[in-house]
Amino acid sequence: MISRHQRILFWVLVGCILAMASLLFWERERARDRVSALADATPIDAPYTNTESITLDLANDSDGSITAATRQIALPDEATARARALLEHLIAEYALPGSPHPLQSGAAVDDVFLLPLPVNGRALDASGNTATTGGTPTIPVADPNAIKPQSPGGELAVINLRSNFVNAHPSGVEVETLTLQSIIGTLHANLPQIEQIRFLVDGQPRETLAGHADLLRTYPSRDTTVQATVPDATP
Amino acid sequence: MILLDPAHGGVDSGSRITDSLSEKEVTLNLAFKLRSLLAARGFNVVTTRDSDSATEPNSPNPLTLDDRAGIANHAHPVACLLLHATASGSGVHLYSSELDPTPGEPAANPWLTAQAPWVVQSQRLQKQLGTALTRANIPLVMSRASVRPVDSLTCPAVVVELAPNGSDASSLNDASYQQRVAEALAAALVFWKNQAQPPDRLLDTPTMPPMPPSPPTGARP
Repeated sequence: MISRHQRILFWVLVGCILAMASLLFWERERARDRVSALADATPIDAPYTNTESITLDLANDSDGSITAATRQIALPDEATARARALLEHLIAEYALPGSPHPLQSGAAVDDVFLLPLPVNGRALDASGNTATTGGTPTIPVADPNAIKPQSPGGELAVINLRSNFVNAHPSGVEVETLTLQSIIGTLHANLPQIEQIRFLVDGQPRETLAGHADLLRTYPSRDTTVQATVPDATP
Repeated sequence: MILLDPAHGGVDSGSRITDSLSEKEVTLNLAFKLRSLLAARGFNVVTTRDSDSATEPNSPNPLTLDDRAGIANHAHPVACLLLHATASGSGVHLYSSELDPTPGEPAANPWLTAQAPWVVQSQRLQKQLGTALTRANIPLVMSRASVRPVDSLTCPAVVVELAPNGSDASSLNDASYQQRVAEALAAALVFWKNQAQPPDRLLDTPTMPPMPPSPPTGARP
Protein backbone atom coordinates (compact mmCIF):
# COMPACT_ATOMS: atom_id res chain seq x y z
CA MET A 1 0.00 0.00 0.00
CA ILE A 2 1.50 3.31 -1.15
CA SER A 3 1.08 6.04 1.32
CA ARG A 4 -0.69 9.26 0.36
CA HIS A 5 2.35 11.49 0.71
CA GLN A 6 4.33 9.19 -1.58
CA ARG A 7 1.65 9.47 -4.26
CA ILE A 8 1.67 13.26 -3.92
CA LEU A 9 5.47 13.29 -4.25
CA PHE A 10 5.26 11.05 -7.33
CA TRP A 11 2.81 13.32 -9.13
CA VAL A 12 4.77 16.42 -8.17
CA LEU A 13 7.88 14.85 -9.69
CA VAL A 14 5.97 13.90 -12.84
CA GLY A 15 4.75 17.49 -13.07
CA CYS A 16 8.29 18.80 -12.71
CA ILE A 17 9.52 16.47 -15.44
CA LEU A 18 6.82 17.63 -17.81
CA ALA A 19 7.52 21.27 -16.97
CA MET A 20 11.25 20.79 -17.57
CA ALA A 21 10.58 19.02 -20.87
CA SER A 22 8.28 21.84 -21.96
CA LEU A 23 10.87 24.44 -20.98
CA LEU A 24 13.64 22.63 -22.87
CA PHE A 25 11.47 22.27 -25.95
CA TRP A 26 10.55 25.97 -25.83
CA GLU A 27 14.18 27.04 -25.40
CA ARG A 28 15.21 24.80 -28.28
CA GLU A 29 12.62 26.39 -30.53
CA ARG A 30 13.79 29.86 -29.54
CA ALA A 31 17.42 29.02 -30.26
CA ARG A 32 16.52 27.56 -33.63
CA ASP A 33 14.53 30.67 -34.52
CA ARG A 34 17.45 32.85 -33.48
CA VAL A 35 19.93 30.91 -35.63
CA SER A 36 17.51 30.91 -38.54
CA ALA A 37 17.09 34.65 -38.24
CA LEU A 38 20.86 35.13 -38.31
CA ALA A 39 21.20 32.84 -41.27
CA ASP A 40 18.53 34.74 -43.15
CA ALA A 41 20.39 38.02 -42.61
CA THR A 42 23.72 36.67 -43.90
CA PRO A 43 24.43 38.21 -47.29
CA ILE A 44 24.90 35.62 -49.99
CA ASP A 45 26.02 38.07 -52.68
CA ALA A 46 28.17 41.14 -52.33
CA PRO A 47 26.07 44.27 -51.92
CA TYR A 48 26.47 45.33 -55.52
CA THR A 49 24.52 48.15 -56.98
CA ASN A 50 23.25 48.08 -60.52
CA THR A 51 25.76 47.91 -63.31
CA GLU A 52 27.63 51.11 -63.96
CA SER A 53 30.03 52.46 -66.51
CA ILE A 54 33.66 52.18 -65.45
CA THR A 55 36.94 52.85 -67.22
CA LEU A 56 39.68 50.25 -67.56
CA ASP A 57 43.12 51.37 -68.71
CA LEU A 58 44.12 48.45 -70.91
CA ALA A 59 47.70 47.71 -71.94
CA ASN A 60 48.92 46.59 -75.33
CA ASP A 61 52.29 44.85 -75.56
CA SER A 62 52.68 45.32 -79.29
CA ASP A 63 52.96 49.11 -79.18
CA GLY A 64 53.50 49.71 -75.46
CA SER A 65 50.35 51.76 -75.18
CA ILE A 66 47.63 52.12 -72.55
CA THR A 67 44.16 52.91 -73.82
CA ALA A 68 41.01 53.64 -71.87
CA ALA A 69 38.09 51.27 -72.44
CA THR A 70 34.58 51.52 -70.97
CA ARG A 71 32.82 48.54 -69.46
CA GLN A 72 29.42 48.07 -67.83
CA ILE A 73 29.91 46.09 -64.64
CA ALA A 74 28.40 45.90 -61.16
CA LEU A 75 30.65 47.08 -58.36
CA PRO A 76 30.21 47.19 -54.60
CA ASP A 77 29.71 50.57 -52.96
CA GLU A 78 32.39 50.23 -50.33
CA ALA A 79 35.63 51.81 -51.59
CA THR A 80 38.15 49.05 -50.81
CA ALA A 81 35.87 46.32 -52.14
CA ARG A 82 35.26 48.51 -55.17
CA ALA A 83 38.99 48.93 -55.82
CA ARG A 84 39.59 45.22 -55.47
CA ALA A 85 36.69 44.33 -57.78
CA LEU A 86 37.96 46.83 -60.36
CA LEU A 87 41.41 45.27 -60.39
CA GLU A 88 40.01 41.75 -60.60
CA HIS A 89 37.95 42.79 -63.64
CA LEU A 90 41.07 44.38 -65.14
CA ILE A 91 43.23 41.29 -64.70
CA ALA A 92 40.40 39.08 -65.95
CA GLU A 93 40.44 41.08 -69.22
CA TYR A 94 44.08 40.18 -69.68
CA ALA A 95 43.35 36.49 -69.17
CA LEU A 96 40.94 36.40 -72.10
CA PRO A 97 42.10 34.62 -75.27
CA GLY A 98 43.70 37.01 -77.72
CA SER A 99 44.50 39.59 -75.08
CA PRO A 100 47.08 42.16 -76.27
CA HIS A 101 48.69 41.93 -72.82
CA PRO A 102 48.30 38.26 -71.88
CA LEU A 103 48.45 37.41 -68.18
CA GLN A 104 47.63 34.22 -66.33
CA SER A 105 44.04 33.87 -65.18
CA GLY A 106 43.16 33.59 -61.52
CA ALA A 107 42.88 35.81 -58.49
CA ALA A 108 45.56 38.50 -58.60
CA VAL A 109 44.64 40.84 -55.78
CA ASP A 110 44.42 39.62 -52.23
CA ASP A 111 43.43 42.92 -50.63
CA VAL A 112 43.32 46.63 -51.23
CA PHE A 113 43.78 48.97 -48.28
CA LEU A 114 42.93 52.65 -48.48
CA LEU A 115 44.74 54.83 -45.95
CA PRO A 116 44.10 58.54 -45.48
CA LEU A 117 47.13 60.72 -46.22
CA PRO A 118 49.45 61.63 -44.61
CA VAL A 119 50.19 58.18 -43.24
CA ASN A 120 51.73 58.55 -39.80
CA GLY A 121 53.32 55.79 -37.79
CA ARG A 122 52.82 54.93 -34.12
CA ALA A 123 55.39 54.58 -31.34
CA LEU A 124 55.34 52.96 -27.92
CA ASP A 125 53.84 55.27 -25.32
CA ALA A 126 56.65 55.98 -22.84
CA SER A 127 54.20 57.36 -20.30
CA GLY A 128 52.90 53.85 -19.78
CA ASN A 129 49.26 54.71 -20.29
CA THR A 130 47.42 51.48 -20.84
CA ALA A 131 45.37 51.31 -23.96
CA THR A 132 41.67 50.79 -23.51
CA THR A 133 41.89 47.69 -25.64
CA GLY A 134 44.41 46.17 -23.29
CA GLY A 135 47.12 46.06 -25.98
CA THR A 136 50.52 47.74 -26.02
CA PRO A 137 50.02 51.47 -25.44
CA THR A 138 51.05 53.51 -28.49
CA ILE A 139 50.86 57.11 -29.55
CA PRO A 140 50.72 58.54 -33.09
CA VAL A 141 54.00 59.95 -34.40
CA ALA A 142 54.01 62.66 -37.02
CA ASP A 143 56.48 61.82 -39.80
CA PRO A 144 57.89 64.99 -41.39
CA ASN A 145 58.68 63.00 -44.56
CA ALA A 146 55.20 61.50 -44.81
CA ILE A 147 53.52 62.00 -48.17
CA LYS A 148 51.14 64.92 -47.95
CA PRO A 149 47.74 64.74 -49.62
CA GLN A 150 47.34 67.00 -52.64
CA SER A 151 43.71 67.58 -51.73
CA PRO A 152 41.66 66.96 -48.59
CA GLY A 153 40.62 63.34 -48.36
CA GLY A 154 43.52 62.09 -50.46
CA GLU A 155 44.31 58.43 -49.85
CA LEU A 156 47.16 55.96 -50.23
CA ALA A 157 46.11 52.67 -51.82
CA VAL A 158 48.12 49.64 -50.73
CA ILE A 159 47.54 46.79 -53.17
CA ASN A 160 48.39 43.38 -51.80
CA LEU A 161 49.03 41.13 -54.80
CA ARG A 162 48.97 37.35 -54.61
CA SER A 163 52.30 35.61 -55.08
CA ASN A 164 50.68 33.17 -57.51
CA PHE A 165 49.94 36.07 -59.83
CA VAL A 166 53.33 37.74 -59.41
CA ASN A 167 55.33 34.52 -59.83
CA ALA A 168 53.49 33.74 -63.08
CA HIS A 169 53.79 37.27 -64.48
CA PRO A 170 55.78 37.55 -67.73
CA SER A 171 59.21 39.06 -67.23
CA GLY A 172 60.37 42.18 -69.05
CA VAL A 173 60.59 45.93 -68.61
CA GLU A 174 57.73 46.70 -70.97
CA VAL A 175 55.31 43.99 -69.92
CA GLU A 176 55.80 44.61 -66.19
CA THR A 177 55.62 48.38 -66.53
CA LEU A 178 52.42 48.13 -68.55
CA THR A 179 50.78 45.98 -65.86
CA LEU A 180 51.61 48.54 -63.16
CA GLN A 181 50.54 51.47 -65.35
CA SER A 182 47.31 49.70 -66.20
CA ILE A 183 46.51 49.17 -62.51
CA ILE A 184 47.49 52.74 -61.61
CA GLY A 185 45.50 54.27 -64.46
CA THR A 186 42.40 52.20 -63.73
CA LEU A 187 42.39 53.23 -60.08
CA HIS A 188 42.99 56.87 -61.05
CA ALA A 189 40.08 56.85 -63.48
CA ASN A 190 37.56 55.30 -61.10
CA LEU A 191 38.68 56.26 -57.60
CA PRO A 192 39.93 59.84 -57.80
CA GLN A 193 40.50 60.06 -54.05
CA ILE A 194 43.50 57.73 -54.45
CA GLU A 195 46.64 59.85 -54.82
CA GLN A 196 49.45 57.39 -54.11
CA ILE A 197 49.77 53.66 -54.71
CA ARG A 198 52.05 51.06 -53.14
CA PHE A 199 52.35 47.36 -53.83
CA LEU A 200 52.87 44.37 -51.57
CA VAL A 201 53.07 40.69 -52.45
CA ASP A 202 51.46 38.34 -49.92
CA GLY A 203 51.69 41.15 -47.40
CA GLN A 204 55.44 41.66 -47.86
CA PRO A 205 57.43 44.24 -49.83
CA ARG A 206 59.03 42.80 -52.96
CA GLU A 207 61.78 44.42 -55.00
CA THR A 208 60.33 43.91 -58.47
CA LEU A 209 57.23 42.53 -60.15
CA ALA A 210 59.04 39.90 -62.24
CA GLY A 211 62.65 41.06 -62.18
CA HIS A 212 62.30 44.56 -63.63
CA ALA A 213 59.52 46.96 -62.62
CA ASP A 214 60.14 48.49 -59.19
CA LEU A 215 57.59 47.43 -56.56
CA LEU A 216 59.28 49.20 -53.65
CA ARG A 217 58.52 52.77 -54.65
CA THR A 218 55.32 54.70 -54.10
CA TYR A 219 53.63 55.48 -57.40
CA PRO A 220 51.57 58.62 -57.89
CA SER A 221 48.06 57.91 -59.12
CA ARG A 222 47.83 59.39 -62.61
CA ASP A 223 46.38 59.06 -66.06
CA THR A 224 48.54 56.48 -67.81
CA THR A 225 46.76 56.47 -71.16
CA VAL A 226 49.76 57.36 -73.23
CA GLN A 227 50.56 56.43 -76.72
CA ALA A 228 54.07 55.17 -77.26
CA THR A 229 56.17 57.98 -78.65
CA VAL A 230 57.86 57.55 -81.98
CA PRO A 231 60.39 60.29 -82.65
CA ASP A 232 60.56 62.06 -85.94
CA ALA A 233 63.26 60.43 -88.03
CA THR A 234 63.93 63.54 -90.04
CA PRO A 235 66.96 65.50 -88.95
CA MET B 1 82.95 57.53 -71.59
CA ILE B 2 79.89 55.31 -72.01
CA LEU B 3 78.60 52.90 -69.38
CA LEU B 4 76.90 49.69 -70.49
CA ASP B 5 75.00 47.61 -67.96
CA PRO B 6 74.09 44.18 -69.35
CA ALA B 7 71.28 43.36 -66.92
CA HIS B 8 71.17 40.19 -64.81
CA GLY B 9 73.99 37.62 -64.88
CA GLY B 10 75.15 34.67 -62.82
CA VAL B 11 72.30 33.03 -60.94
CA ASP B 12 69.99 35.82 -62.04
CA SER B 13 69.02 34.71 -65.55
CA GLY B 14 66.44 37.43 -66.08
CA SER B 15 63.46 36.55 -68.21
CA ARG B 16 63.25 33.24 -70.05
CA ILE B 17 63.24 34.11 -73.76
CA THR B 18 63.03 30.54 -75.08
CA ASP B 19 63.71 27.17 -73.52
CA SER B 20 67.38 27.51 -74.32
CA LEU B 21 67.84 31.27 -74.21
CA SER B 22 67.77 33.59 -71.21
CA GLU B 23 67.83 37.35 -70.95
CA LYS B 24 71.29 37.51 -69.41
CA GLU B 25 72.84 35.93 -72.52
CA VAL B 26 71.13 38.34 -74.90
CA THR B 27 72.09 41.41 -72.89
CA LEU B 28 75.72 40.31 -72.67
CA ASN B 29 75.93 39.59 -76.41
CA LEU B 30 74.39 42.97 -77.22
CA ALA B 31 76.82 44.67 -74.82
CA PHE B 32 79.80 43.03 -76.53
CA LYS B 33 78.65 44.22 -79.93
CA LEU B 34 77.93 47.72 -78.69
CA ARG B 35 81.24 47.94 -76.85
CA SER B 36 83.18 47.04 -79.98
CA LEU B 37 81.35 49.59 -82.07
CA LEU B 38 81.77 52.33 -79.48
CA ALA B 39 85.45 51.56 -78.97
CA ALA B 40 85.95 51.81 -82.72
CA ARG B 41 84.38 55.26 -82.58
CA GLY B 42 86.79 56.46 -79.92
CA PHE B 43 84.70 55.94 -76.80
CA ASN B 44 86.02 54.63 -73.53
CA VAL B 45 83.48 51.99 -72.53
CA VAL B 46 82.84 50.68 -69.01
CA THR B 47 80.65 47.62 -68.50
CA THR B 48 79.23 46.39 -65.21
CA ARG B 49 79.96 42.80 -66.24
CA ASP B 50 81.85 41.20 -69.12
CA SER B 51 81.13 37.55 -68.44
CA ASP B 52 78.15 35.44 -67.45
CA SER B 53 78.69 36.00 -63.76
CA ALA B 54 77.88 39.33 -62.18
CA THR B 55 80.16 39.68 -59.15
CA GLU B 56 81.99 42.42 -57.39
CA PRO B 57 85.61 43.01 -58.46
CA ASN B 58 87.96 40.58 -56.66
CA SER B 59 85.08 39.06 -54.75
CA PRO B 60 82.60 36.22 -55.23
CA ASN B 61 79.79 38.40 -53.89
CA PRO B 62 77.03 38.92 -56.44
CA LEU B 63 76.69 42.37 -57.91
CA THR B 64 73.65 44.14 -56.50
CA LEU B 65 71.64 46.73 -58.35
CA ASP B 66 73.08 49.39 -56.06
CA ASP B 67 76.58 48.16 -56.95
CA ARG B 68 75.81 48.63 -60.62
CA ALA B 69 74.64 52.18 -59.96
CA GLY B 70 77.79 52.82 -57.91
CA ILE B 71 80.03 51.68 -60.79
CA ALA B 72 78.18 53.98 -63.15
CA ASN B 73 78.24 56.99 -60.84
CA HIS B 74 81.97 56.70 -60.16
CA ALA B 75 82.75 56.52 -63.89
CA HIS B 76 81.02 59.86 -64.71
CA PRO B 77 79.92 58.66 -68.16
CA VAL B 78 78.21 60.86 -70.74
CA ALA B 79 75.57 58.15 -71.15
CA CYS B 80 74.45 55.05 -69.27
CA LEU B 81 72.63 52.33 -71.18
CA LEU B 82 70.92 49.62 -69.15
CA LEU B 83 70.50 46.67 -71.48
CA HIS B 84 67.54 44.31 -71.11
CA ALA B 85 65.75 41.82 -73.35
CA THR B 86 62.23 40.46 -73.53
CA ALA B 87 60.21 38.03 -75.58
CA SER B 88 57.16 40.29 -75.64
CA GLY B 89 56.54 43.01 -78.20
CA SER B 90 58.96 43.68 -81.04
CA GLY B 91 61.85 45.98 -81.92
CA VAL B 92 63.44 48.05 -79.19
CA HIS B 93 61.81 49.57 -76.11
CA LEU B 94 63.45 52.69 -74.66
CA TYR B 95 62.65 53.87 -71.15
CA SER B 96 63.79 56.84 -69.13
CA SER B 97 63.22 57.35 -65.42
CA GLU B 98 59.71 58.04 -64.14
CA LEU B 99 61.07 60.58 -61.67
CA ASP B 100 59.98 64.15 -62.13
CA PRO B 101 62.81 66.49 -63.08
CA THR B 102 63.90 68.29 -59.90
CA PRO B 103 66.78 70.67 -60.47
CA GLY B 104 66.17 72.21 -57.05
CA GLU B 105 66.89 70.98 -53.56
CA PRO B 106 67.96 67.41 -52.80
CA ALA B 107 65.16 64.97 -52.06
CA ALA B 108 64.52 63.17 -48.79
CA ASN B 109 66.19 60.01 -50.09
CA PRO B 110 68.93 61.15 -52.48
CA TRP B 111 70.01 57.64 -53.45
CA LEU B 112 66.60 56.62 -54.78
CA THR B 113 66.07 59.93 -56.57
CA ALA B 114 69.61 60.70 -57.76
CA GLN B 115 68.46 60.54 -61.37
CA ALA B 116 65.98 63.41 -60.91
CA PRO B 117 68.35 66.23 -61.97
CA TRP B 118 69.36 64.17 -65.02
CA VAL B 119 65.87 63.27 -66.20
CA VAL B 120 65.73 66.00 -68.84
CA GLN B 121 69.10 64.90 -70.25
CA SER B 122 67.98 61.28 -70.14
CA GLN B 123 64.86 62.11 -72.12
CA ARG B 124 66.95 63.91 -74.73
CA LEU B 125 69.25 60.92 -75.01
CA GLN B 126 66.21 58.65 -75.24
CA LYS B 127 64.85 60.71 -78.10
CA GLN B 128 68.15 60.63 -79.98
CA LEU B 129 68.44 56.89 -79.58
CA GLY B 130 64.84 56.55 -80.73
CA THR B 131 65.47 58.67 -83.80
CA ALA B 132 68.47 56.55 -84.78
CA LEU B 133 66.51 53.31 -84.33
CA THR B 134 63.61 54.65 -86.37
CA ARG B 135 66.01 55.57 -89.16
CA ALA B 136 67.27 52.00 -89.05
CA ASN B 137 63.67 50.80 -89.52
CA ILE B 138 63.59 49.12 -86.13
CA PRO B 139 60.16 49.15 -84.43
CA LEU B 140 60.29 51.39 -81.40
CA VAL B 141 58.43 51.92 -78.13
CA MET B 142 59.42 54.88 -75.97
CA SER B 143 58.06 55.49 -72.51
CA ARG B 144 59.04 56.02 -68.88
CA ALA B 145 59.44 53.31 -66.29
CA SER B 146 60.70 52.62 -62.80
CA VAL B 147 63.37 50.02 -63.33
CA ARG B 148 66.03 49.78 -60.67
CA PRO B 149 68.74 51.06 -60.55
CA VAL B 150 68.00 53.77 -63.12
CA ASP B 151 66.65 56.16 -60.47
CA SER B 152 69.99 56.06 -58.64
CA LEU B 153 72.17 56.95 -61.64
CA THR B 154 73.88 60.34 -61.89
CA CYS B 155 74.22 60.32 -65.66
CA PRO B 156 71.92 60.53 -68.68
CA ALA B 157 70.43 57.06 -68.43
CA VAL B 158 68.17 55.04 -70.71
CA VAL B 159 66.88 51.50 -70.35
CA VAL B 160 67.25 49.72 -73.70
CA GLU B 161 65.08 46.62 -73.92
CA LEU B 162 65.67 44.47 -76.97
CA ALA B 163 62.51 42.72 -78.18
CA PRO B 164 62.21 40.17 -80.99
CA ASN B 165 62.58 41.09 -84.64
CA GLY B 166 59.01 40.30 -85.60
CA SER B 167 57.21 37.63 -83.66
CA ASP B 168 60.00 35.06 -83.40
CA ALA B 169 61.50 35.21 -79.92
CA SER B 170 64.62 33.32 -81.00
CA SER B 171 65.52 36.27 -83.26
CA LEU B 172 66.72 38.03 -80.11
CA ASN B 173 69.92 36.00 -80.37
CA ASP B 174 70.32 36.67 -84.08
CA ALA B 175 73.76 38.27 -84.49
CA SER B 176 72.77 40.38 -87.50
CA TYR B 177 69.70 41.75 -85.71
CA GLN B 178 71.73 42.62 -82.63
CA GLN B 179 74.39 44.20 -84.85
CA ARG B 180 71.79 46.38 -86.57
CA VAL B 181 70.46 47.60 -83.24
CA ALA B 182 73.96 48.15 -81.84
CA GLU B 183 75.00 50.19 -84.89
CA ALA B 184 71.96 52.44 -84.55
CA LEU B 185 72.65 52.98 -80.86
CA ALA B 186 76.35 53.65 -81.48
CA ALA B 187 75.54 56.17 -84.20
CA ALA B 188 73.20 58.02 -81.82
CA LEU B 189 75.82 58.07 -79.07
CA VAL B 190 78.40 59.62 -81.41
CA PHE B 191 75.94 62.42 -82.03
CA TRP B 192 75.13 62.62 -78.32
CA LYS B 193 78.78 62.91 -77.22
CA ASN B 194 79.00 66.56 -78.12
CA GLN B 195 75.71 67.47 -76.49
CA ALA B 196 75.89 65.86 -73.06
CA GLN B 197 75.99 68.44 -70.32
CA PRO B 198 75.54 67.94 -66.58
CA PRO B 199 72.46 69.52 -65.01
CA ASP B 200 72.83 73.21 -64.13
CA ARG B 201 73.01 72.76 -60.39
CA LEU B 202 75.81 70.20 -60.73
CA LEU B 203 78.05 72.26 -63.01
CA ASP B 204 79.96 73.91 -60.15
CA THR B 205 79.88 71.29 -57.43
CA PRO B 206 79.69 67.76 -58.68
CA THR B 207 78.11 65.68 -55.95
CA MET B 208 77.33 62.05 -55.57
CA PRO B 209 74.57 60.74 -53.37
CA PRO B 210 75.65 58.40 -50.61
CA MET B 211 74.97 54.77 -51.31
CA PRO B 212 72.78 52.99 -48.78
CA PRO B 213 74.59 50.80 -46.27
CA SER B 214 75.37 47.43 -47.76
CA PRO B 215 74.59 44.19 -45.98
CA PRO B 216 77.61 42.44 -44.47
CA THR B 217 77.67 39.72 -47.10
CA GLY B 218 76.64 42.03 -49.89
CA ALA B 219 78.49 44.54 -51.59
CA ARG B 220 81.29 46.83 -51.44
CA PRO B 221 81.07 50.18 -49.70
